Amino acid sequence: MIVEFWGHEFKVNILIGCLGGFLIAIVSSMFGFGGGPFMTPLLAVGLGLPMYLVVGSSLLAIFFNTMMGTMRHYQFGNFDLTFFLIMFPAAILGGFIAPQIAKRVSPLVVKRVAVAGLVILSLNLLGLY
Amino acid sequence: MKRVWVSMVIALSATMFMMWQSGAFAEKAKDPAPATVKVEQKAETVSAGTTPTISIDKTSLSNGGTIAVTGTAPAGKPVYLEVWSDDKVRVSRFDADVDKTTGKRPYILYMTEQMPAYYKIFMPKDKKEALAGIKKEGKNWSVSKALKDLGADIAYSTPAKAKVDRYQATLMGSVIGSRGDLLTQMDEKENRQRSMQLIKARFRSPDKILSADVEVNPDGTFKAALNIREGLAPGKYSIVAVVDKGVQSQPVSFENKIVFPVMYLSNAGTSLNIVWPFLLCLGISIFGVLMGAGGGFILNPILVSLWPLPHTVVAGTVMPTVLFSQASGIYNYSKIKFISWKLGTAIGLAMLVGGFIGPKLTELITLDQFKFVFGWILLILAALMFWQTTPGYISKNKKEQAILKEFKKKAEEAAKAKEK
Repeated sequence: MIVEFWGHEFKVNILIGCLGGFLIAIVSSMFGFGGGPFMTPLLAVGLGLPMYLVVGSSLLAIFFNTMMGTMRHYQFGNFDLTFFLIMFPAAILGGFIAPQIAKRVSPLVVKRVAVAGLVILSLNLLGLY
Repeated sequence: MKRVWVSMVIALSATMFMMWQSGAFAEKAKDPAPATVKVEQKAETVSAGTTPTISIDKTSLSNGGTIAVTGTAPAGKPVYLEVWSDDKVRVSRFDADVDKTTGKRPYILYMTEQMPAYYKIFMPKDKKEALAGIKKEGKNWSVSKALKDLGADIAYSTPAKAKVDRYQATLMGSVIGSRGDLLTQMDEKENRQRSMQLIKARFRSPDKILSADVEVNPDGTFKAALNIREGLAPGKYSIVAVVDKGVQSQPVSFENKIVFPVMYLSNAGTSLNIVWPFLLCLGISIFGVLMGAGGGFILNPILVSLWPLPHTVVAGTVMPTVLFSQASGIYNYSKIKFISWKLGTAIGLAMLVGGFIGPKLTELITLDQFKFVFGWILLILAALMFWQTTPGYISKNKKEQAILKEFKKKAEEAAKAKEK
């Protein structure tokens, strides 16, 4: 598939993109997260697309998944309204506060902290510590 | 903007089509009215002299507490106190274990809407050691075996009445996201047996549903201090004293009250102080935005680890919270025409299919499997993030980001120029 974006044409291997997106969507909707951190590398590294094309388009692709996942979870009775009303304002508030802090912290430091945190959390989940 | 609507319409119609395919609409229409399996009560046949009596010292608790129970029973009999909440929750369990007699995997999903949100059997104090032995069995303990070994199966009656539905899952059915065919209702005995497995799916560990607290005197009087833990459903709770199969007292009841900021999550069957999940969600979503990933990755495993929340409810509730931030992101990008609708929709449609299947699979796995797989997902994510902090990636990313900025600027200017 050929995608035209801001005056450049890109050849996209849509088969890999769709297959990867499909698998990421299953896992992310099964476990209830967005899937962005997996989609971006898939498009950028897996398909070799430039970042400026990836940021918006991957968000759109993920939105499809989140919308469907939400409807299906609701259909299966997994949605708890009270719980949602607790977390939703927090998530929105976080979205406003974060950009204020973002200028003051280095993304590299954040990522390193995240790596350490994720490893600890995953070892905990796997029952290794 | 037109393209936004076109892709939305495509997404919605595909969703509708798949839902229709899986029979979601039809299923709702013929949803059977909740019926209760009748269990014969033989209490009437027992003469009044041998029927135990029971009384409690207070009729209301505030988010748990201790309640003192006294009563009389025929001398020399063990006394079991069965306690349950009126509030019901849904529990499901997927049976994919090899059947010992046929050697095949049944792939049957057992589900009930009528599991008490709280259930516990308080046993005579002399069962303490036997209970400790069951705790030692670890994760593979069995409710039916535990009840039998402790003699508590005579008291097990309320959950046995919960109507358990079973669905025969098929591979094809799972692919199109259906629960499978509803099988005929089980008889009383099997319903009871299956309800015990669902008890384990809901309450997980032996000390949640069993404890040895009842002091039985030789003359038949008994007393117990029942410790009702925090974080339970509000509403009416009932207690009966059971001494033998069908020989039980009249139920007594008390009320459990909760006050704000403790709130009850009716789908999860848990009440909790909402301040903590709020702060946790706030902190993680800030951190999530900073590291450029949604907070769901970190939030979900922490939520299921910290509170007794079912993983299905956590997954199903966290997912919609990001819907709006994603939508606003898309809107902002679309204003400056920074989205390739063709690419996004093409991959989005594949993701739509995936998102259709995924939520179905959530209820087929146990909490332990959920945690295990999540552990591996997070390790992969950590590796991805680590790779993004390596010098090679950073220098490449710098160039990419510079180009990104340049293009974004161009796009913003173009959008502005158009407005004028």
